[in-house]
Amino acid sequence: MGAAIRSEFRKIFTTRLWWGMAIGIFVAGALFAGFFGWVLTSDQPGGPGGGPALEGDATQVVNSVYTAGLGVGYLLLLTMGILQIGSEYRHKTITATFLATPKRVRAMLAKVVALLGIGGVYGLISLLGSVAVGAIVLTLRDVDPFPSTEVLRTLALSLLALGLWALIGLGVGILIPNQVAAILVGVGVAWIVEPLLGLGLSYVDAAKDVVPYFPSNATNAMVNGVTQGGSQVDYLPWWAGALVLAAYAAALSAFGTWRTVRQDIS
Amino acid sequence: MTTTAQRTDGARIEVRDLTKTFGSFTAVDHLSFEVEPGRITGFLGPNGAGKTTTLRMLLGLVRPTSGTATIDGRDYRDLENPSATVGSALESTNFHPGRSGRDHLRVLAAAGGLPDSRVDEMLELTGIPAAARKRAGEYSMGMRQRLGLAAALLGDPRVLLLDEPSNGLDPEGIRWLRGFLRHLSSQGKTILVSSHQLQEVQQTVDDVVIIANGRLVRSGAMSDLRGAPSTIVRTSDPDRLVGALRVADVMAAAGDDGELVVETTDKRLVGDVALRAGLPIWELRDRKADLEELFFDLTEGTNRNLGDGATSPPPPTERDAVSGQEGANE
Repeated sequence: MGAAIRSEFRKIFTTRLWWGMAIGIFVAGALFAGFFGWVLTSDQPGGPGGGPALEGDATQVVNSVYTAGLGVGYLLLLTMGILQIGSEYRHKTITATFLATPKRVRAMLAKVVALLGIGGVYGLISLLGSVAVGAIVLTLRDVDPFPSTEVLRTLALSLLALGLWALIGLGVGILIPNQVAAILVGVGVAWIVEPLLGLGLSYVDAAKDVVPYFPSNATNAMVNGVTQGGSQVDYLPWWAGALVLAAYAAALSAFGTWRTVRQDIS
Repeated sequence: MTTTAQRTDGARIEVRDLTKTFGSFTAVDHLSFEVEPGRITGFLGPNGAGKTTTLRMLLGLVRPTSGTATIDGRDYRDLENPSATVGSALESTNFHPGRSGRDHLRVLAAAGGLPDSRVDEMLELTGIPAAARKRAGEYSMGMRQRLGLAAALLGDPRVLLLDEPSNGLDPEGIRWLRGFLRHLSSQGKTILVSSHQLQEVQQTVDDVVIIANGRLVRSGAMSDLRGAPSTIVRTSDPDRLVGALRVADVMAAAGDDGELVVETTDKRLVGDVALRAGLPIWELRDRKADLEELFFDLTEGTNRNLGDGATSPPPPTERDAVSGQEGANE
């Protein structure tokens, strides 16, 4: 098992993708933390457009600043997850993978462990950018950058969230074997369709109870940031958000593994 | 290449009543054969005969519809240490274009619990230590074949399964591959080499397994399939020469185009008999093409995907001339 996991990590670190992604996630973390650090500590008159005011205590504001780049981050990890299997299909290296580790459940579990690990590593890179820039901006605005230890919980959970999104990507990559289609569909759904659907359903009484269970809302619940005043969505508690996202990740990667184990590789 | 052969324990390949259907298409049809250790076995058949599907079933990549395909008595998926048991090179395109050849091997070495030093040894052995540091997207066919072979050899396996390994190799590369496989089989390894070109492998293999339409056509030792050696002679009056040869206790029979097929390898005797009978000799040569004729007889007209590599140049008349001609057969 250890050998297969080491092999998966080598796959990640022997192409140029990983440092491109690392730079992307670092920059996203830093930029969004800087921007939100500024916006969330500004007076909010409600805006000329009458946008809803943002509500949250000091901890939630800080949580939001440090995890502001998470939305971009989880899309990148979703892509990483898709590529970890999609590029194997595309370049037919899946043959070599299953020849080296013929017990396919083991080979797929190695991918799961490696993706959780890489999610954590990228999470740390992202936090390096967001906490550094966010803390500076907050300090400049005379806001305590570490109001409570709950912030640490949020930071830790953001690492987990990224790993879980990578596993969702792994499942998507298996369900849609064409790598390019998988990325377009995966990112399209996670970035546009799912949030819009969540927003739409939140105004439908019969359906609004399921909206907090959507992946993006579960992710937001995990990091417990500020909420928009008047929002229809009642976020789950942080632990329930983590469980819901973990359930998505487990279901998708387990289904993907099941499919892969039965597949003829030709 | 050293010739110090460390004998490895033999591992037999056994294919028993193996069948694979894809929908209504039967790719492999109740196929049975064995491959022995210490010998090179050619796995022959026209394109689309089911060779690759059979190899993939042996390697646990494709699930048989029925029957078994075992290596050393076990399914590939049940092997404790697959890279030390079976090495295989299936297709020359199985590389991530953005990853260097060396890193590709390092990924496999990690999965097999092998050190990076083993990677560099195999790159030396296959003659690509420097080129393997470039990204695989830039590789030529020959380079990919060598890298595939290096990957197959990583775990020092007892069994080698190679799918069309000489595709894309230049004549020098083919000669190198031939010597290399000889060397490996002298160590007691079991080697199965698939090819759709008989000429390419007939100098290399000890045994052949010939399939067409997914069915076994013939298997056995190369020497058994070759038939008795004979001589081709052409003259002005074949019937008189047959009579004169019979007096000399040599049997002869009419072949194609007025040729006589004489059951001897003694060309000098045939020439002397003809001279005594006062007959001119227009042509006198060894008959070597039996196996190839057999191959085409056995597989002709049965190819499911018509229009592929079923054509090849005429067989060489002298065995020694083959090594210089290989490249033209690609």
